[in-house]
Amino acid sequence: MPDEESQPDEASAEDQKSAETPAAKPSEKAPTNASAESSADAPANASAAEQPEEEEADPRPRPPAGGIADLLAEALPDVKFEAYQGMTDVIVEVERDDVMKIMPVAKDDPRLDLKFLRCLFGVDHEDEGLEVVYQLLSLEKGHDVVIKTRLPKDDAHVASVTSVWKAANWHERETRDMFGIMFDDHPHLVPLLLPEDMTDHFPLRKDNPLAEIEEWQGDELPEEGFGGAAKRR
Amino acid sequence: MVQEQQLETVDINVNMGPQHPSTHGVFRMVLTIDGERVVDVEPHIGYMHRGAEKLSENMDYRACIGFQDRTDYLAQFLNEQAYCMAVEKLLELEVPERTEYIRVILCELNRITSHFMFLGAFGIDLGYFGTSFTYGFRERERIQDIFEEVTGERMMYGYFRPGGLAWDVPDNFVQMIRAVLPHTQQGLNDLDVLMTQNEIVAARTKGIGAMSAEDSVNWGLSGPMLRAAGIDWDLRKDKPYSIYDRFDYDIPVGSHGDVFDRYLVRLEEARQSIRIVEQALDQLPDGPIMPEKMPRRLRGPEAEVYAAVEGPRGEYGIYIVSKGGDKPYRLKIRPPSFCNLSALRDMTVGNYVADAVAILGSIDIVLCDVDR
Repeated sequence: MPDEESQPDEASAEDQKSAETPAAKPSEKAPTNASAESSADAPANASAAEQPEEEEADPRPRPPAGGIADLLAEALPDVKFEAYQGMTDVIVEVERDDVMKIMPVAKDDPRLDLKFLRCLFGVDHEDEGLEVVYQLLSLEKGHDVVIKTRLPKDDAHVASVTSVWKAANWHERETRDMFGIMFDDHPHLVPLLLPEDMTDHFPLRKDNPLAEIEEWQGDELPEEGFGGAAKRR
Repeated sequence: MVQEQQLETVDINVNMGPQHPSTHGVFRMVLTIDGERVVDVEPHIGYMHRGAEKLSENMDYRACIGFQDRTDYLAQFLNEQAYCMAVEKLLELEVPERTEYIRVILCELNRITSHFMFLGAFGIDLGYFGTSFTYGFRERERIQDIFEEVTGERMMYGYFRPGGLAWDVPDNFVQMIRAVLPHTQQGLNDLDVLMTQNEIVAARTKGIGAMSAEDSVNWGLSGPMLRAAGIDWDLRKDKPYSIYDRFDYDIPVGSHGDVFDRYLVRLEEARQSIRIVEQALDQLPDGPIMPEKMPRRLRGPEAEVYAAVEGPRGEYGIYIVSKGGDKPYRLKIRPPSFCNLSALRDMTVGNYVADAVAILGSIDIVLCDVDR
């Protein structure tokens, strides 16, 4: 079968969105490679003279210039955040108190246009606290970003973003179920996936290990019958 | 003499489910109704919650595949594809060409079976009592046989592996599918003739449960639900993954965002999938199905990845947080049914009780995907 004969649709599919996606790809790749080099260099250079300079640099790869992180900085000049290039997405870390400053702008600013909340979930980093992750996407511009915020375990609450994206409603309820993160000003923060009276037990936290699977105790079986037969002789 | 009397009306609560034929699984909604009109809906989910995310944290990367079949059990290949893509990105595995083609063929056939299931069940929701269901299932069964032939399973395939496939497809793979596709086309035509022009279907679906494009985006709807509202967004075209940029196909888009448009979008989408399968069969190359240097144990670096596919119900995504080691530290599934179902209240309020069934059917939920 001829196998390389078909790149037919590329031109016809190239409306604005898909035209931007391939353009974004190489620029996303570049910093990842750079980081791989620098991180590989770092241990080798540990004893070299430039070590202090190396250490100053963030070990995490920088986001691509002119990408979503720069747009965020442009739209939100007075909010501090840290951005870096993750393996697939640009990841932006923000302070908990800034969440409600950032999210409405991220959604409504025409440069960002992050109108689509893909998903919202929690991560338990054990000693380093809990994390809430917002995955945002722009259907018009085709770019996306992951915004994260850290919460201490003993005071796990963050502003709800249901007023910005209605989609957050169930995601936040689920995150409350699983991690015990409270979302302030959520209209209806009651258990969703878990039983209604299960409000003090958060299954996806790491201090909730899975129960060990009980092994079938062969010798406790009756002598006669199904399990005992093999044991008898 | 007629005495003027103030008649009081009382809103009553009607409990629908968890065991109810039209809830497509174990799902309960409490409808508050004023006469025949729905004034409030409170969906209750979680009956099928099995902790797939928690369990995955305790399994190595290959073992997690089993849970992917069990979330959206009508689109197993697509879930496996999303999961394998996430792991491949994390481990930087190069997937062989032949594998990509086989995956695309199976995924698109899976999309067709899923839409057959929808079309069949949708007719029942509207009162067909069986005709659409038998039409849908007659053709679905033929494709199901191919899946069984390829994977040895009828439901929980577990066929994709990070980097490749469990084993190669049988020799008659291409012939098998080519023999089935005309039937598939015919089945879709039958359903089209049965339902699209039908006056009762039109009366039950047109203008019902409509959601504007803006609201659809705000509610995070994806897949046919979003496209029915007139937004041309399909991950296969707009964020091309795998080898979808090599095929020629169209993305059907609706305009009203109502139940009828959702039905039409799905019907047309299944037809487009046939086109993709035909092209993929023509191009299917020979070659290996696993990468050459495949590590025995899959160990991820400390990183986070997200991979998503356009499933029959919408964007099915996998977010993996890895802290090294052979298990995901956190595995989050973005379930399309969950996101689509969350908008149920907005779509249903103001409609008749009978329409609530049609609207719920049009969301095409899989409860195992909702609850995970």
